[in-house]
Amino acid sequence: MNGWLAAACALLLVGFLPALLGICTGPVRRRVLAQNLATVLAALVMLLLSQGYARPSYTDMALVLAVLGPVGTLVYERLLGEELRASRPRPLVTRTMTVLGVAPVPAVVLPVCVAATPGRTTLKLLFIGCLLVAGSALCTRALTTPPGGGGSDGR
Amino acid sequence: MGGDLPVVVALLLVAVAGTAAVLARDPVRQAAVLAGLGLALALLFAVLQAPDVALSQLAVGTALTPLMVLLSVRKVRRKARSERREEHE
Amino acid sequence: MARRLTAALELGAWWVALAGLWLVLIQTVDTLECGVGAGAALLAAYGGRAARRAAVRR
Repeated sequence: MNGWLAAACALLLVGFLPALLGICTGPVRRRVLAQNLATVLAALVMLLLSQGYARPSYTDMALVLAVLGPVGTLVYERLLGEELRASRPRPLVTRTMTVLGVAPVPAVVLPVCVAATPGRTTLKLLFIGCLLVAGSALCTRALTTPPGGGGSDGR
Repeated sequence: MGGDLPVVVALLLVAVAGTAAVLARDPVRQAAVLAGLGLALALLFAVLQAPDVALSQLAVGTALTPLMVLLSVRKVRRKARSERREEHE
Repeated sequence: MARRLTAALELGAWWVALAGLWLVLIQTVDTLECGVGAGAALLAAYGGRAARRAAVRR
């Protein structure tokens, strides 16, 4: 049990568990927003686990999750679009969800980058971090923008 | 005991998500809970040192399961709507 | 002629970006990996160009 594993456990309990409870209760849009948050946090936990177990192949799971998580969230946006965007959420909700989905990414990716051997691994970790930030921000925006607000860029 | 802590935490998450998936009644909401359960299971497999299983669980659980559930929900709703319209005519 | 040149340039740009991404994401760099990556990046470059054109034409 090293510091990375302890950090992963803490992130699971403090971050992932509340997001999971958010998925399990409430109206549909809140569940989908919480699901987006949960995918980001799960990818970050995978990065911490790859450091904790010293197994670089674990970062591949974070990469796959960073690609597939936004896809899974945008499925809801595409199939339930009118229902999800029927009402506009309060600006505070939008801002909080955006910050919650973006802020933990550098807080985890940068320490992992510093601890990993410099070189291609660093670039890979930074790429995963950029994917996570972009996917999370895009999904939050697509889910909280009402129709005609310019946010319906899902094809 | 210290080394088992991640496993215990992941098992707890799976138990929470699984219970919620059983208790959810509306299929749309259940699809979201199933996606969360898939994430929790992938984390459990990762903690149990099975990254390959976790990879396939991620591919199936996060994107494919909600897609299939939502596609069927949409089809059923459309069918119900068109039948109602036929009754009115 | 000019259109062909821009097409080739765009394919080349896609190829450079995608092959670089492959090199970053693989675990060990050896000759076989580089060859497979170059081929896959070429295929994906055609796909990327087709996707961009479809998105622009819409």
